[in-house]
Amino acid sequence: MASKPKGSSGKPSQSGPIDFETVARVLAFMGEHSLEEFEYEGGGFRLRLRKPGVPFPVSGRAIAAPEIVVASPAATPNAPAMPAPAASAEDVHIVKSPIVGTFYESPRPGAPPFVKVGDHVEPGQPLCIVEAMKLMNEIESDAAGEIVKIYVQSGQPVEYGESLFAIRPGRRK
Amino acid sequence: MFQKVLIANRGEIALRIICACKELGIRTVAVFSEADRNALHVRFADEAVCIGPPRSSDSYLNIPHVISAAEITDVEAIHPGYGFLSENANFAEVCEASHITFIGPSPEAIRLMGEKDQARRAMAGMGVPIIPGSEGAVPNEDAALAAAKEIGYPLIVKAVAGGGGRGMRVVRSQPELIPAYQTARSEAEQAFGSPEVYMERFIERPRHIEFQVLGDKHGSVIHLGERECSIQRRHQKLLEESPSTAVTAKLREEMGGRITAALKKVGYNNAGTIELLMDEDGSLYFIEMNTRIQVEHPVTEMVTGVDLVKAQIRVAAGQRLSDVVPKLEFRGHSIECRINAEDPETFTPSAGRITAFQLPGSNGIRVDTAAYTDAVIPPYYDSLVAKLISFGSSREEAIARMRRALDMFVVEGIKTTIPLHRRILEHPDFAAGKLDTHFIERLAPAQQSVAAK
Repeated sequence: MASKPKGSSGKPSQSGPIDFETVARVLAFMGEHSLEEFEYEGGGFRLRLRKPGVPFPVSGRAIAAPEIVVASPAATPNAPAMPAPAASAEDVHIVKSPIVGTFYESPRPGAPPFVKVGDHVEPGQPLCIVEAMKLMNEIESDAAGEIVKIYVQSGQPVEYGESLFAIRPGRRK
Repeated sequence: MFQKVLIANRGEIALRIICACKELGIRTVAVFSEADRNALHVRFADEAVCIGPPRSSDSYLNIPHVISAAEITDVEAIHPGYGFLSENANFAEVCEASHITFIGPSPEAIRLMGEKDQARRAMAGMGVPIIPGSEGAVPNEDAALAAAKEIGYPLIVKAVAGGGGRGMRVVRSQPELIPAYQTARSEAEQAFGSPEVYMERFIERPRHIEFQVLGDKHGSVIHLGERECSIQRRHQKLLEESPSTAVTAKLREEMGGRITAALKKVGYNNAGTIELLMDEDGSLYFIEMNTRIQVEHPVTEMVTGVDLVKAQIRVAAGQRLSDVVPKLEFRGHSIECRINAEDPETFTPSAGRITAFQLPGSNGIRVDTAAYTDAVIPPYYDSLVAKLISFGSSREEAIARMRRALDMFVVEGIKTTIPLHRRILEHPDFAAGKLDTHFIERLAPAQQSVAAK
């Protein structure tokens, strides 16, 4: 189960029962970010969407057929069992969060983002901030290349190992 | 009552806490390392946050990651379980500073009881007996003689700086004292660089007896009886039961009274366990206090009917003990066997995938486990696979049910200590209640007929 994002990308402007368009937008958002479950509460209602593939933990069958994580020390300890988020077939390097916290795309509210899709980055270059326990941690790129995808939204909570950026390795053009 | 609680643990205890939360209508957040992505506690929690790579120090013991996970999921309280951060006073303080309720005692109580010498002095000062001993190092032979008069025989002379059996001498009578004192000192100097030794009463065949306590935030403290945990190997408990065959109702009341009076004085709240040793004469001495819920809490739950984990949550939320435990009654007998993923004879760990997992059931059997068919027991954490608990109206019935349940517990793919437990329960000393902490050493090596199963 992935952690749920707090808040949503688009707050409904009206209170009261939400309309189909909003639900469709949420579904598109879920697909874009490979979310299995989405929950939003506010404006007098609560919306919860769960993709059908996710087993509701009551059936023994669901539990008997999980993805097996082979936890042998010989294997790379950092290899995630989670399938890599849908990216194109090309070789991309995924920058993952090394800490748990809240993702921010800019150094300060209102400031321009550290990077955007299409930017070239170098190793050591700050890409974002993940705030944890009131400390702003700059997350640096560990590769040189072009930002081809940003997986998370500013203000979204992220867990350890969560995919943040996809970088197509290469030199500055 | 809390709306949402984060469980800062894994395995069977994380599941246990999720159970209690579900029953109380509390939403749950699980944290997990990458090795536990398919663990049951992750599946059954309402939300889950990955907090690090497999190693405990990088994940379950990583305070910033745990607190961060609590913040992003907006929980009101954290239950630390046992082990990991449960007795980390610093962690309890960080929770407080982050405005998250730590479901456990105060940081001060954790600190006080965490330092063994301090805890012993505190308890002794409040009428709970401790093992007679010298207060600190014994500087010379005259002091040794004087100390021996106070302590009585048999006693042990031990290196202050050491352990592991070196710089130790058991003394059974006065003529042996000075030679033993001198030898222990020179051994200690050679092994640990310091000749300092202290002395304390030596108990040849101690019984490990512990009392479960519960306090609320309004000054009340009660005890919920004792557990006997004498069946241990290298200080790791294998089997526990309640009540103890060595504790009379009178002793229970007397010692229980002293303990609760002492804990009221320190303002203890939430769950805890007072560990004691019983000598051959039946006297109890305080050893240490564990300021958390313990692995073997189920046997107390079975004989009192009190759900200890729910009680922890409720007192942490401010409820009074008089509401949480309105009436305490002891009924019947309960035994717990810790089923570990280990070779039952060599005790080498047996990590790997469980290929078959069939639990016993029926009347009087409870199993607390996070294992399942196809689960992989990772090598990074402890080897506990399941806790098998029996309950009966008498000790004989609890034993009969446990034997039957062990026979019907199927675990394939890994080795477990089930055969060892069968041997323990078949031993005539066990049926007779003749227990002490050397019990396991007296078990005969396994015979073919038992080992073959």
